[in-house]
Amino acid sequence: MAGPDTTGAWHAGGDLLAAYNDQRLDAAARWSVEAHLTSCTACRLQARALVDPARLERLRAALIDAVDLPRAGMAERLLVRLGVANHTARLLAATPALRGSWLVAVAATLAFAVLAAWTHSGPDANLAFLCVAPLLPLAGIAVAYGPGVDPTYEIGLAAPLPSFRLLLLRAAAVLATATLLAAAASLALPQLGPGAAGWLLPSLGLTASSLALATTVAPLRAVGITAGAWILAVMATVAPPAPSSVLFAVAGQVAFAAVALLGAAVLLVRRGRFESDRGFDTTPRFAARRLR
Amino acid sequence: MTTPAPTIRVRDLAMTFGRTRALDGVTFDLVPGVTGLLGPNGAGKTTLLRVLATVSAPDGGSVNALGLDPRHTDQRLDLRGRLGYMPQEPGFHARFTAFEFVDYVAILKELHQRRARHEEVRRVLELVGLGAVRGKQIKALSGGMRRRVALAQALLGEPDLLVLDEPTAGLDPEQRLRFRELVSRLGEGRTVLLSTHQTEDVVALARHVMVLHLGGLRFAGTPLELAGLARGHVWQSQERDPGALAAWRTGTGQHRNIGDPPAGADLLEATLEDGYLLLLGGDHVEEPAA
Repeated sequence: MAGPDTTGAWHAGGDLLAAYNDQRLDAAARWSVEAHLTSCTACRLQARALVDPARLERLRAALIDAVDLPRAGMAERLLVRLGVANHTARLLAATPALRGSWLVAVAATLAFAVLAAWTHSGPDANLAFLCVAPLLPLAGIAVAYGPGVDPTYEIGLAAPLPSFRLLLLRAAAVLATATLLAAAASLALPQLGPGAAGWLLPSLGLTASSLALATTVAPLRAVGITAGAWILAVMATVAPPAPSSVLFAVAGQVAFAAVALLGAAVLLVRRGRFESDRGFDTTPRFAARRLR
Repeated sequence: MTTPAPTIRVRDLAMTFGRTRALDGVTFDLVPGVTGLLGPNGAGKTTLLRVLATVSAPDGGSVNALGLDPRHTDQRLDLRGRLGYMPQEPGFHARFTAFEFVDYVAILKELHQRRARHEEVRRVLELVGLGAVRGKQIKALSGGMRRRVALAQALLGEPDLLVLDEPTAGLDPEQRLRFRELVSRLGEGRTVLLSTHQTEDVVALARHVMVLHLGGLRFAGTPLELAGLARGHVWQSQERDPGALAAWRTGTGQHRNIGDPPAGADLLEATLEDGYLLLLGGDHVEEPAA
């Protein structure tokens, strides 16, 4: 019973503590009990005996975890807010491409392309935008995964999480980011009309084929080859009178959709190649990204 | 004392990079406990450790680790779940804190249950003595601390097999002492293979030692047996003995010679380092003649 003990001191008593433990008290009563518990050892001991030790341990662990956990980085917090699971967010936050410099480069490139199209409004400026936009995710993928790029590449290979899943996860994040930025940039080019979306399918096609190629050569080289082939293709197909390329017409778009599907199929069939380092050059290229 | 059953069986392992035979038919068994891997630079130590850590697939031969064959995808993934690997030059995501980095590797190790994972990350960081700096960014940590972060990630999930590539490089003597204590404790009931250039490391903590040279296994046995190779082959003299395979001037002003001693030489007690040098030195001398 709540009330004073033989020495005259007030104590919560077994009934009240039991009610508190069972969460049967209203807010005011709960706060009074808690205020008393913080100052009275006797009642605290009595209360502790009522609580299931396993639950107590669980609560304690949760509390320590919450208090001790370092604040996650900005990218990671943003991803979690977007609904990405916390462990996936950590995997993505470690993507070298998504750590600032690439984002800045993508935004700057797009800004230049848009600016050029505005100040120089003509078909060739539009063409430049369409040519540059698909290259941006490629640049990101080159620095998203692989030996010499990912500082934990080796540790990752020795870990059970399939490296292919990590690669896809990061490629998807890079592609999504670049696509969003390029889409925003296309909105700034109303004169292009529906043709402003002409970079999207080539972008998917180039990404898929560079990943497929990365099953044979190092990812960096795969991206280089794909980007080179794209630039050559655009240059070879540009035709007067108003400079335009068949690549952005219906035929070209269909072709790139096919390339994207084919690349995805090759990637799927050869995904086992990502599970060991054979054939890849493991010397680090970006010394600044690595700490020894 | 009965010999424990081997946990790792390596047979005829071969690995070629271009024209270089990095591993040339290496065969050995490992038992639980710490095994030290010695060898000069370019001997193939890192290649061997990478194969055992399933990072590289060998060109030839077979590995059976913890009863699993890494050639099969499902067994390789099982093995990866039970092994800890510390690469020779571990890279870090510089902006991560020590905690975030180890947590990141824990995710790669598929410890998805968040709270249990965080507890495990704290445990391994405490184990290597970095509990207090876990919130610090890795780029703010000293070289020795970074190596301990790299070691911590290898310890995640209490692996049955630990593969450590030169874990003591760059550690100061006190850190090295702490490291030896930790690894010898980890070696109880686990299979630990570590490569090192420090023969003292092997003497201090390894129950077994292997010497790799030019892609071939030159010795496998106990540290005592390796030292025993040099018994009767180490002597001191006033001047450097021209007949010695290796000789150096010691602090006392005397020269320590290794090789075939002349008659009446002042023989010294052989150390593991003497045995190691004799093993390699003999090779260097014989090769041009062959």
